Amino acid sequence: MIRAPLVKALGALGSPTHQIASRAVRTSAVLAQTPAKAPEKIEVFVDDIPVMVLPGTTVLQAAAEVGVEIPRFCYHERLAVAGNCRMCLVEVEKSPKPVAACAMPVMKGWRIKTNSDLTRKAREGVMEFLLMNHPLDCPICDQGGECDLQDQAMAFGSDRSRFTDINYTGKRAVEDKDIGPLVKTVMTRCIHCTRCVRFASEIAGVDDLGTTGRGNDMQIGTYVEKLFLTELSGNVIDLCPVGALTNKPYSFVARPWEIRKVDSIDVLDAVGSNIVVSTRTNEVLRILPRENEDVNEEWLADKSRFACDGLKRQRLVAPMVRMPNGELQAVEWEGALIAVAKALQKAKGQVAGIAGQLADVEAMVALKDLVNRLDGELLVTEQDFIKGSGIEVRSSYLLNSTIAGLEQADAVLLVGTNPRYEAPLVNTRLRKAYVHNELQIASIGPKIDLSYQHNNLGADPNLVKDVCNGSHAFSKVLEGAKKPAIIIGVDVLERPDGAAIHATISEYCQKLKKPDWNPFNVLHNSASQVGAFDVGYQPGIQAVLQAQPKVLFLLNADAGKVTRDQLPKDCFVVYIGSHGDNGASIADAVLPGAAYTEKQAIYVNTEGRPQQTLPGVSPPGMAREDWKILRALSEVVGKPLAYDNLDELRARLESLAPHLTRLGELQPASGGESVAKPSISISSTPIDVKQKELRDYFMTDAISRASPTMAKCISAVNKQQRQDEARSCAAV
Amino acid sequence: MSLIRQALARTAPTMQFTARRWASSQDGGPLDPSTALARPEELDQRNKLSGKITVPVEVNLGPISGVPEEQLKERRVRIHIPPKNAMQSGTDNINTWQIEFDNRERWENPLMGWASTGDPLSNLNVKFGSKEEAITYCERNGWRWFVDGDLKPKKERVKNYGINFSWNKRTRVSTK
Amino acid sequence: MAGREAVKRAVQQVRPILSVDREEARKRALNLYKAWYRQIPYIVMDYDIPMSIEQCRSKLREEFVKHRQVTDIRVIDMLVIKGQMELKETVEIWKQKGHIMRYWKESQDPKPTDFLSKFIQGVN
Repeated sequence: MIRAPLVKALGALGSPTHQIASRAVRTSAVLAQTPAKAPEKIEVFVDDIPVMVLPGTTVLQAAAEVGVEIPRFCYHERLAVAGNCRMCLVEVEKSPKPVAACAMPVMKGWRIKTNSDLTRKAREGVMEFLLMNHPLDCPICDQGGECDLQDQAMAFGSDRSRFTDINYTGKRAVEDKDIGPLVKTVMTRCIHCTRCVRFASEIAGVDDLGTTGRGNDMQIGTYVEKLFLTELSGNVIDLCPVGALTNKPYSFVARPWEIRKVDSIDVLDAVGSNIVVSTRTNEVLRILPRENEDVNEEWLADKSRFACDGLKRQRLVAPMVRMPNGELQAVEWEGALIAVAKALQKAKGQVAGIAGQLADVEAMVALKDLVNRLDGELLVTEQDFIKGSGIEVRSSYLLNSTIAGLEQADAVLLVGTNPRYEAPLVNTRLRKAYVHNELQIASIGPKIDLSYQHNNLGADPNLVKDVCNGSHAFSKVLEGAKKPAIIIGVDVLERPDGAAIHATISEYCQKLKKPDWNPFNVLHNSASQVGAFDVGYQPGIQAVLQAQPKVLFLLNADAGKVTRDQLPKDCFVVYIGSHGDNGASIADAVLPGAAYTEKQAIYVNTEGRPQQTLPGVSPPGMAREDWKILRALSEVVGKPLAYDNLDELRARLESLAPHLTRLGELQPASGGESVAKPSISISSTPIDVKQKELRDYFMTDAISRASPTMAKCISAVNKQQRQDEARSCAAV
Repeated sequence: MSLIRQALARTAPTMQFTARRWASSQDGGPLDPSTALARPEELDQRNKLSGKITVPVEVNLGPISGVPEEQLKERRVRIHIPPKNAMQSGTDNINTWQIEFDNRERWENPLMGWASTGDPLSNLNVKFGSKEEAITYCERNGWRWFVDGDLKPKKERVKNYGINFSWNKRTRVSTK
Repeated sequence: MAGREAVKRAVQQVRPILSVDREEARKRALNLYKAWYRQIPYIVMDYDIPMSIEQCRSKLREEFVKHRQVTDIRVIDMLVIKGQMELKETVEIWKQKGHIMRYWKESQDPKPTDFLSKFIQGVN
């Protein structure tokens, strides 16, 4: 922050020389790498076990190869090497002093001793210094039980302390910082590993955190008093090896040994981050990320992590039927099912279904089968997309470059999307490529802060045409790139001329295509969308509204796009979902479903990777799993669906779309067929995105709207903005 | 039988000598007291028991494991590798395959606030060296199973302290 | 070739528990059955259960028939051992009336089996 890097300073100037310079750097780097394609491995010995490693490997990594874990605090696999905690000191033969394993590259023939007397003495010394200024408050510390310092003090520390408070001044004490409603700070516990600082500046791209002072007086903080507000702030809680940064909504809630952990999938955006749901006594307490190199690495966006308290609020716990006086009345399941069945029998095939943002594939298939059995055809998703032949080819609605693949991209064009808030973990990949791969990024759309330097070409949709016919300057960059990518946001594809933009870009991508690299990407923001297209749903609710159905199923459809006055008077609306939100408020019958932490269900992420959630808790009250509700309803109507359990339903899924049951795997989507060019041409309405600022990010679906933590986040962002405005006014 | 053997061993050497002589007069070898008095069919049975029998590889332990039938037929087992705890950096205890049963209802004990469950299998925590072992275990016990996730080779990363200070790359640290 | 290998792998050599062949295992099971069968009048008398001897014998048959599909010799042996233990406990009056009556599961509500009633009761 204080010492802005040269590159950034140059980038801020936006001079063409910078671009040339950076490209020169890139090519020179590539040139430097190409001859050393197969660098010779060198042999080192870790505790006398020989291991062959690439030159440049650090001592710590070489030890990890043979399964020796060297204790560390500041070193983190996904962050830059800092080398300031000194916990990883190990003895190397013939070296006079112990070396810091995390920063020292190995040399040929080195004999590393990770458990020698010198090594142990070094660790013990480091630990003694760390503990000298660390409070002994483990019993009241939230990190207790899952604390690196606690564990390593037990394993590597001395059994007694030589620390005596000579001047009776006490241990070092540091004032706590208020950095927002998500992260609680107890700065006295900080051991200055600077993992949080590095995360903020490298991964999140906000230089908010930093250190001041030195030696014993060093402090981690935000320089001036402000909130640490990014969409990724929760990750510093995981990174913190001690209890200095802890989860504020989770503080003093539970101990790690009381908790049951269930591996699951996040559904609040379309990334499909892998998560671990921590539960106790049928209650979701917190959500942590789970490592998956292909999807979320080991990060998690704040909405996914902190919106879990929304799972306990606004829940539908009993079936409800709207009484003649217009009130929703809680009834038994029999009553509700019979009420819906009667309406279905009266409808005589005029049945339609709308799948919302959080609908799982199983429920969507069950709904589709039910509606088809009742001679209905209309099955759509609430989130709009291009009409017509756009979704016939699977690759035309996927993020074809894959999330992990974007890391290798070297030129990216964003069209009407703000990945920072629509899919924060895709944005971290782009930022990673920006930092490590000299990625050049341009965007068409409103000016937004993406946490990295990018070239905003403007908001005029005709720029898409310019870029795609090669007349724009950025076309040269895309065409010259090894792995170019164009990412289209769904906000663009909702536009009336979305199909034209889609077709133009997809045609251009045929030109940019490389073997095993597809540059065409659609970035979805609802978890159900790709799965819905895979099982044969059509995009957009207009078709349903035009058909004027007699019975309308809203499967988790809570975005509020369907309103009562758009539907015919006698339309019977059935809502199936977990939260009392927009969908339930217009429904004639409410059938309570399970949220994503309560069912085993498949979701397909934006790159087309099917993954399943696992139930951590059981649905509250009388709520049932969504597909079971539809199965039960089908039996009451007299047209029972052909599956009684999840295995049978999965078999049906497999017959419908075989790739859906190969969980966690990516089915390469066939591409190449060019989409028929639509008759509509690109209009001149400026391209806009819905989520522009951080405050737009926090509440986007029924669960996050019900979450008090998310509400606190929004008010914190607003407060920060008011402060900033007041400050800038005072400065003027 | 072993008692007899002990008694014999403890008797006077003369006795041993006579016994040995008696035995040698019979068939030339020393007499095994555990078989000397057995009937031929008993001996035959014992022989067979010490040998091996042929059984099908597929064993269903369901009837004898003592697990109630409803717990056998309706449970699905998830075979997986435990994930690394995101809060900590240690990875020592996550190199095994584990089995885990589908989740059943839990509740808070109204008196003490303890976590209660009606699921007898929720605390069954068995570790296996490979997923095949885990699959065999589930098959033998008659549970339906599915394997979730697989071992993935670790990505090689280049770690370099120097790039924090490089003058021409974006990896240069912007804040400390 | 592959087929023969599959056949080869379908069986394994193991240490026996009690019986060395199917015939012997069958004899053991029959012996156990007979022992129970003869004991039933005394069980009815000693435990004073509200069941007739015929009802008990049909229950006995039911318990044995439940495992008729078991073919593994070792599993049969284990079942015989367990049955023997059960018999011993019964004969020695280590059990109480309730333990005997548990075979009839009179106090247990039958669980629903069809989808709809399972759904409405909320059982998995």
